[in-house]
Amino acid sequence: MLLDYDRLGWLRVALVGFTAAVAAFLLLPVIFIVLLSFGSSHWLAFPPPGWTLKWYQQLLADPSWIDAALTSARIAAMAAILAVIIGLFASFSLVRGEFRGRQVLRGVLLTPMVLPVVVFAIAIYAFFLRIGLAGTTVGFVIAHTILALPFAITPITAVLEGFDKSIEDAAIVCGASPLQARLRITLPSIRIGIFSAAIFSFLASWDEVVVAIFMASPTLQTLPVKIWGSLRADLSPVVAAASSLLVGLTLCLMTVTALLRRKLSR
Amino acid sequence: MQGSSFRRSSIAGLPAGSGSALPALLLVGLFFIVPVVALLLRSVTDPEPGLQNYAALFGSGTYVRVFLNTFLVASVVTAVTIVVAFPVAWMLAIMPPALGSIVFGIIILSMWTNLLTRTYAWMVLLQRTGVINRALMALGIIHEPLPLINNLAGVTIGMVYIMLPFMILPLVGTLRAIDPMTLRAAALCGASPFEAFRRILLPLSLPGIAAGGLMVFVMSLGYFVTPALLGGTSNMMLAEMIAQTVQSLLNWGLGSAAAFVLLVVTMALYAIQLRLVGASRAGGGI
Repeated sequence: MLLDYDRLGWLRVALVGFTAAVAAFLLLPVIFIVLLSFGSSHWLAFPPPGWTLKWYQQLLADPSWIDAALTSARIAAMAAILAVIIGLFASFSLVRGEFRGRQVLRGVLLTPMVLPVVVFAIAIYAFFLRIGLAGTTVGFVIAHTILALPFAITPITAVLEGFDKSIEDAAIVCGASPLQARLRITLPSIRIGIFSAAIFSFLASWDEVVVAIFMASPTLQTLPVKIWGSLRADLSPVVAAASSLLVGLTLCLMTVTALLRRKLSR
Repeated sequence: MQGSSFRRSSIAGLPAGSGSALPALLLVGLFFIVPVVALLLRSVTDPEPGLQNYAALFGSGTYVRVFLNTFLVASVVTAVTIVVAFPVAWMLAIMPPALGSIVFGIIILSMWTNLLTRTYAWMVLLQRTGVINRALMALGIIHEPLPLINNLAGVTIGMVYIMLPFMILPLVGTLRAIDPMTLRAAALCGASPFEAFRRILLPLSLPGIAAGGLMVFVMSLGYFVTPALLGGTSNMMLAEMIAQTVQSLLNWGLGSAAAFVLLVVTMALYAIQLRLVGASRAGGGI
């Protein structure tokens, strides 16, 4: 019985073993980078000859790394806020609207997720060169909001589709205005979707490399652009330190997400 | 969704239900559709009107090789990803939840980790003096370091690593939707496990495999970062060539033409994928 875990017999040993190997394959590079960032070898020898914190000291002492991280955080926060607000409005229309072309509209709004980023990157770069937004924070935020929008719309529409609209109607019958009903009944009910949208849109911008490589200027660099530049130059252990901090951030985000989901779905 | 007489009044603030999509539509229209269309126009107008950019693209051995190599890498990555992902998804679909959630956690961690971080890890692991070569030499399996980076092997390993979650997660859904009774019936009728796998489990999960595989293929076709860092100059992929043509050579006409080819192929495959997903959803309810 191939879909009964308890009756797979010898096959189960093989399949569980394979699954464990793939899990190790997915996990080990992440652990490897963290270990390496504490290793004392400049040539990234592994296992390291000794342990040190000097790569972290170099990283934190270099204002260009700090600047890049702050720029990334600022742009990602603005793009996430815009994407969630615009995406929330769009989701109401996509889920509840009764007009022709609703599916087409959904397709159009989700296209930025499908189109190869490099095509969008050179297109928006050329466009911004013409209207003078290339290399500016505003340009960065606009481009990243567009890339983040599908990641905001997808979770919000998913939750909104599962929300029983008659609850909102009941509030209106009981005397709430449509706006009140939406703000005080619907929004709190779909907060899991909004929260996921915020996390995903933030990450979509925070991790974005390709558009950023084109949009960056010597004075405006995001963290991925800074890492990209270092990777092209050499494999300095400072990058391992920066990467490990990013892994730490990912773990924090995962924990917060898991905790909040548990709390919100209660 | 819910048919009720209050529908009209509750959306009175946003007439006809389409108005609230307006900001999104404006944003995407002005800063996505207009720039992309302008870029595509550039492929037939820059430096002068005509199809010379496309002629240059398809007439030159260098660029044709880039196209072929892009399809080769995407095909290899997709095939390997499917073969590796299927058993994992299969186990995740039927494992006890306590065990499964550990594997899910690892998949999400890997997926959410910064793309450059993951690629950097593989750059270090796969280099000539890297851990993998050293371990293989220490075990006596090889005597000379293997060339694992700046070639097809490097790109494949790095890309499969990144694509695996995108294949595993949807496949788990497909496999969970299959009714275990069908397999029990097969066993009762005397089918061997291999027979049951070949004639029941595999065909029933085929829509999910096809949809996920197509998604991985499409994503691989246009991938920039990992091939650029782990691949070699002799097997450049399309996305890197587009970026280089525009950024280093400043040849916007040629770059736009290549971008248009990538866009058309991607969109065509995506349309097929949408159909498949629709079909697998319909079939999932069996």
